[in-house]
Amino acid sequence: MVGRYYQAPDGTVPALEFLDGCPGTVDAQFTAVLDAVAAAPHPRFSGGGKWEAMHGTMGGWYEIRLTGPGREQLRLFCLLENGTSDELARRGLPRPAIAVLTGMRKPRRTVFPERDYQRVRELGLEHQQNYQRRIAT
Amino acid sequence: MTSQMLDASLHERRRDRRMQDPQYRAAYEQAARELAQTDAVIRQLDSLRVDLGISKAELARRVNRNASSVRRLFTASQVRPELPLVAALADALGAELRVVPRSTEARRAAREHDRTRRVADTG
Repeated sequence: MVGRYYQAPDGTVPALEFLDGCPGTVDAQFTAVLDAVAAAPHPRFSGGGKWEAMHGTMGGWYEIRLTGPGREQLRLFCLLENGTSDELARRGLPRPAIAVLTGMRKPRRTVFPERDYQRVRELGLEHQQNYQRRIAT
Repeated sequence: MTSQMLDASLHERRRDRRMQDPQYRAAYEQAARELAQTDAVIRQLDSLRVDLGISKAELARRVNRNASSVRRLFTASQVRPELPLVAALADALGAELRVVPRSTEARRAAREHDRTRRVADTG
C-alpha cells in the first residue's frame, strides 16, 4: 500500500497544503503514521495509537490524530483504496493505496463543526467519483 | 500534472527530501519507533488472546470492561490506548508489561536528541 495525495479540480492538493502548514515535527509524525499504515494496513496494523477508523457520519474514513505545540489538535483524513486488481486499475491505481484527502486543526478541547466534516466528505465524494483518481504527482 | 501509475509517489519523494532535515528525521524516527512499539504490544496481546482461545468479549468480562473497549483496542478504532487497560489485559492473559532499556548507543542517541531539541526550543 502506498500514500497518494488527492488533487482537487483546481490543481490544489489540500493535504499537502495542510502538511506544509504544520510544524516540521508534526509533519514528520503524520508521515511516519502514513508509512506505518502503508507497511501494515488495517486490520493488521492496530493503529499504534494514532490511526483511527472514524464512525458516524464519517464512517468509512480514517484519521490520523496528533497533538502539536500548545496542545493544538491536528487531524489528517484518509480513505483506503482497496479492491480487485481490475477495480484498482479502473481507478488508475497500480496497487492498494491510502488516499490522503485533507487535514484540519483545532484548539484542544474543542470539536470540529459538522460543516467542516461535511467539506471533508465532499472532497471524498469528488475523489471517489473520479475514474481514474486524480492524484498529485 | 496528474498521473496515477508512477511508482515513486509524491509522498515518498517529499518524505525523502524532508528527511534531509535532521530535526524532521529525528521526529519521524521517534514517531516510527513509538508506533511500532504500541502496535507490537497490542498485536502481541491479541495474539495471546487468540492462542488461549478467548473471545474479545470474554477478555473484556475478565477485566470488567465492556466488550467494545477491548474490540476497539484491537481494531484500530481507538487512539491513545489506555495503559491501565493494556496492563489489565496483559494480566488477564497471563502476561505482563515490561520496559526494557535499549542499547547504550540508542540511549546515548536519545540523550543527544533531547539536548538538540532543547537547544532548538530555546534558540
